[in-house]
Amino acid sequence: MAEKDKFKYRVEIQQMMFVSGETGEPSPETTGIIEEIVRGQVIEMLLQCTQLAARRGSRSISTDDLIFLIRHDKAKVSRLRTYLSWKDVRKTAKDQDPAGGGAAADPSELMDEVAGSGAAPAGPQMMMKQKKTKIGLPWEVASYFSESAPEREDDEDEDEVEANAATLQRLKNADERTRHMTKDEYVHWSECRQASFTFRKAKRFREWAGFGTVTEAKPNDDIVDILGFLTFEIVQTLTEEALKVKEQEDKLKASNAGRESRKRKREQFLFHAQESRTPIEARHVAEAFRRLQAPKPKSRAMRNFSGGVMKTRLSLV
Amino acid sequence: MASNPPSDAVATSPDQAELLAQAFRARYQEFDRLIPTLFRNDHPCCATLEIEPPVIGDDGDVEMLDVGADAHHPPPPTKPPKVRVEEDYDFDDDDEDEEPSKPAVPPLAATAATPPRPQINQSPSSSTSAPSQSGAPGGSSEVKVTREKLEADRKAAENSARHAFETLFFTLENDRDAMLEQRQLEESDRQVNAEANAATEQQPGKLASANLGASNLTLKHLIARIDATRERVKVSDMELRNLMSEVRKNRSKWASEDKIGQEELYEAAEKVVLELRANTEHSTAFLNRVNKREAPDYYQVIKQPMDLGTVMKKLKQHQYKSKKEFVDDLNRIWDNCLTYNADPSHFLRKHAKAMKTMTASLEPLIPDIVIRDRAEVEAEEAGQVDAEGESDDEPIMSSRGRKAPGSKKSRKGAAAAPREGTPDVKPPTVHLVRADSNPPGNNDAHSQNLSVNGFPTPTGGTPGPNGVAGSITQLDLEEDDYVGDLEYQSWKKITKKGRAKVASQRHKLIRGTRLNPEEPALIRSRIGMGRTIQQSLRHLKGMEDEQEEDIPTVTEEGEGEEDDQRLLPDYYDPLSCVPELPWRTVWAADEGEVEMPDTDENALRLAPRGLFVQPKSQLNTILDANLKKMQDTRKVCSKITVIKQMQTQTQIYPNQFTKYDPKEFVEQDVDDFVISEPGPIMCRDVARSSLQRSLGKIFYHAGFEEFQPSALEVATDIAADYFQKIGKTLMVYAETPQHDRIFTPEEIILHTLNENGSDVESLQSYVRDDIERLGTKLSTINERMKSYLAELLRPALADTGGDDSKLFNDGSEQFVGGDFAEDIGDDFFGFKELGLDKEFGLASLSVPLHLLQGRMHNAYQPTNATNAATSGELHKPPPPFEPLTQTLLKSQIQLIQPFFLERFTTSTTIPVPIHPITAPASPPNSDSNAVINDTTTTTTTGDSQPAPAVETEEALLEDEDLPVKQRPPKPRLPPTGKISMPRKRPLQAQGGGSKKKKKPNPVVNASPTKGGHKGADMLEGKDNRKESAGAQGMVRSFSKMSEDGGAQGMMSPESLVA
Repeated sequence: MAEKDKFKYRVEIQQMMFVSGETGEPSPETTGIIEEIVRGQVIEMLLQCTQLAARRGSRSISTDDLIFLIRHDKAKVSRLRTYLSWKDVRKTAKDQDPAGGGAAADPSELMDEVAGSGAAPAGPQMMMKQKKTKIGLPWEVASYFSESAPEREDDEDEDEVEANAATLQRLKNADERTRHMTKDEYVHWSECRQASFTFRKAKRFREWAGFGTVTEAKPNDDIVDILGFLTFEIVQTLTEEALKVKEQEDKLKASNAGRESRKRKREQFLFHAQESRTPIEARHVAEAFRRLQAPKPKSRAMRNFSGGVMKTRLSLV
Repeated sequence: MASNPPSDAVATSPDQAELLAQAFRARYQEFDRLIPTLFRNDHPCCATLEIEPPVIGDDGDVEMLDVGADAHHPPPPTKPPKVRVEEDYDFDDDDEDEEPSKPAVPPLAATAATPPRPQINQSPSSSTSAPSQSGAPGGSSEVKVTREKLEADRKAAENSARHAFETLFFTLENDRDAMLEQRQLEESDRQVNAEANAATEQQPGKLASANLGASNLTLKHLIARIDATRERVKVSDMELRNLMSEVRKNRSKWASEDKIGQEELYEAAEKVVLELRANTEHSTAFLNRVNKREAPDYYQVIKQPMDLGTVMKKLKQHQYKSKKEFVDDLNRIWDNCLTYNADPSHFLRKHAKAMKTMTASLEPLIPDIVIRDRAEVEAEEAGQVDAEGESDDEPIMSSRGRKAPGSKKSRKGAAAAPREGTPDVKPPTVHLVRADSNPPGNNDAHSQNLSVNGFPTPTGGTPGPNGVAGSITQLDLEEDDYVGDLEYQSWKKITKKGRAKVASQRHKLIRGTRLNPEEPALIRSRIGMGRTIQQSLRHLKGMEDEQEEDIPTVTEEGEGEEDDQRLLPDYYDPLSCVPELPWRTVWAADEGEVEMPDTDENALRLAPRGLFVQPKSQLNTILDANLKKMQDTRKVCSKITVIKQMQTQTQIYPNQFTKYDPKEFVEQDVDDFVISEPGPIMCRDVARSSLQRSLGKIFYHAGFEEFQPSALEVATDIAADYFQKIGKTLMVYAETPQHDRIFTPEEIILHTLNENGSDVESLQSYVRDDIERLGTKLSTINERMKSYLAELLRPALADTGGDDSKLFNDGSEQFVGGDFAEDIGDDFFGFKELGLDKEFGLASLSVPLHLLQGRMHNAYQPTNATNAATSGELHKPPPPFEPLTQTLLKSQIQLIQPFFLERFTTSTTIPVPIHPITAPASPPNSDSNAVINDTTTTTTTGDSQPAPAVETEEALLEDEDLPVKQRPPKPRLPPTGKISMPRKRPLQAQGGGSKKKKKPNPVVNASPTKGGHKGADMLEGKDNRKESAGAQGMVRSFSKMSEDGGAQGMMSPESLVA
């Protein structure tokens, strides 16, 4: 009972893991540990955001604070910006044409539809027209100056191109995976892609992440959406890393097993095939998390030659 | 020898232990021998050691070498001290041979019946162990022997210490303590002197009255002379007396005419006290009186406090009558301490016991003498004159105090009963010998030597006569725990004074944490240099093992003052070790032979410029270009701001907009300076500010227009720290030991980058993204800003120039002025057609720019500002509305009449007579109270038809004419366009009046309008500024009053009304 209450996002996490490349069905322990990690990350993000906001002299956190935390990951920032601008488009479209906007009201869907796959019934043309609103960030060049000049058509941001390349790569991978799917499988897949921590469960998310205690009780909707986006990314990164861990482990096992019992290999052949389908276990996730948390040389550099214990915060995945 | 026997074997058989010890010693020597191979030395003297192959091989090799090596090397440097003491007896004897030979020459020695030396040699060691019985025949000689023994010990210790300089290396950490202790000692000396002086100066003046001992007789006249001119002599009595005793070579300052035995007793006592005090290791706590603040209950516990300073004082004031008193005082010090600090673990106890031991060992030095008055003694002598005649022969001698008091005492001892307090009586013979064997000159020498001496006799078995012997065994036990390294201890003691001196010399040079520039520098001395040269010569010759005996040849003069310095190893005198620096200037006698000294790297020369500015590089060029672009863009931005501000603001102040005109960044180099040596130029401050400047540039490049100096400081520190770390890492990799793999420069750099959290990719991406790409971004923004500015300036032209807006970027005057048309030969504005060119003699067909700009300026002036500014000049104020009277009311439209009628009755208007205006009047039908409608009712809609006025009629007061307080608020149209709630506040509370309320009041009509509008303006001020568009309509609607108001509406209505 308590176990069930404790973990609230089992299904979502399973779906996200599926999208991220895990084929099997992960155990509750696995999803549980992932959920805990994600929650820790969310709380850490909120804490840091609150501190940032306090430094700005504001009591409430803004989206900029949140994006500031991940500013070094340019690809992620770019994805997030695209996501936000699409969300904006959706909102305005909904305002103007409530009927048309309703269908495209799923932000998590939009998140992956950047390439213009045309899933939104409102029509890509219209959306493209409205896409003009670009999310500006305070540490960008435009904010160096006291005045802002109107945007022009011909500006092509090079960052965006780069980030788009990464996104395209992801989409391409997804494409590869879905190529051989049957219709049912594809339906399942697309359902899974919509999994989100926040979409239509903002209240649950707030409670889960402890919004009231960590930061002010009612942050922006945008913030919740961004967090939804980021949590998905976290799960994805974790799953990918855990898959790598598992792959290595399997390889090691295989070589060990080969050395030990070459003769028995034949008998167990059947089971070997099954073993490769085992899902990620909690220890893989833990190892993946450890690898992601390993202090980077960058954070260590100023401690060189000085000794002492290095205390680090939880680093954001 | 390599194998270690099990430990139990060591415990059981002593033979084996012996073997082990030998093995250990052998091994020690072996390693000792290998030391030179570790520390290479190019010195020729040490080259012999290099011949030996640097073997780190197996045991066999070492064994083989062992044999030969022993010949080269001195025995292990850490000899057990006992051995040294033994062998030092040789030196001891040598010294004895030398020393007495000098004083033996003086004629005084002729009186000696027997040479003193044989006696010394007869009982060299037995005296130390034999307890000195009181009254024993050997008593006095024993004193002497003890003294000589002490002397010998001191010498031995000095020698061993000197030997230790070459074999051991002593660290300097004790020097500070030594210095402090020495200083304390000197302080106490001074105090004692001062107190003694104070005591004697209580009866100031007569030197003659001062106890100058025997000098009174011989120097009678001199003293009388000095006394006569005493006021002019600026020395204290004490000093004078010391001077006197110095003048009279043979006499000590203690010599006294009147007191027999004083000189000997005090001489010895002083030596003992000095000795004790000089043992600063333990004596520090006893130098001065116990402070009541430190130990509040001390004087309750201790009834008779005593300390070394007091003893000294008492000595100087001649308060001691006998040895016993003196020794008792000394022992009281230690006993007091032991009594007060009863806790056995108290640290002072250790010191007290050590001091006690030392006292006991020194005590035999003091002759056992009771001082007596000369008069008394002479009276006694007078009774016995016939018994011994020879004493009469030399009354002078005896009066000089050189006469052995012992002889007198011996006689006294024989004849008279010993005085109270005298513990023992010495046999005469011995005293005779003693007196003769200690000629006065020798005595001084001894005192000098002893005062230097800081080495206590090993406490073996010299029990004092006072029964200290009982405690000695116990003392020995306790002493063991601090003796530890005996050699080190003795070294410390012997060199203490010298070390303290050196340390205090150095200490003086430093004030706070910096060098004191006023303090004179330490200068090397000739003697020190000579000694160093000698030593190095000896070292070169390889005869360092031989003890120095030739040193004095170099250091003839001033040896005395250098003497204590000599007891220090070389490294205490680094100045003398510095060899002569080669002199670079060459004097050439012949002009022809002069060769210009080659300008090698050590010549003075100008440092190259540009060391502290950033070097030219591609990256820097881009960076600078970026900065320039940012500045340009900021300039454009500031223009845009001004324009926007002008659009929204009603009033522009002359200094409101500061011109933004940034200067280009130029890095300034340091002034010319001169260097003389190769290698990098180090200058902390300059380098730091240079780094700071670079950081400032990076800050600016990152978008910070300004930054706090403290932030920049912090960033500079962090950056410097980081760069130091990079440097260190580089060094670590570059200095990796040879047997490990050697890194190539590329590897070193890559490793360093990685260690410091960076790599080539991130650097690359920084350059690419944050510098190059930023450049392109900046230029697009710059262009955008410029076109935006152009659009703001010329909205009309912007339509045409949508695409070629770039034409505006460069000045764009030709475009505006129509010059561009000339290029195509077109008469764009049709000037030619009008013939304007001929009329005005225009050179070109373009519109003169000033005209255009004037127009432009007008066009873009904020509209309401334009209104306010221009209307006053252009239009005359329209004639005031006619006041509404009852008669005029009739001519108004029917709808509005009831309203006005009601107003006439209800409102608080004052009836004012009105002068008739020529009016196409409707027939005046009624009485003077008739109300006439006026068409000019409200603001804009009112038709300005002048109504005929009736004389002396009541007129409705205009709103503006009302006192400010009574005016109803003006109806305002909010920006939403909807009419908001009816007014909530009562009229009286409001600051304004309703326009609708009208009363003819022509007299007051003219001036208060201003105030009326002002009040309204103030009320609406907020709205007016914010939603200027909405407010404007209203303002215009007031056109008749805005003629004067509008522009200035910042003052308070009250001030105007009043």
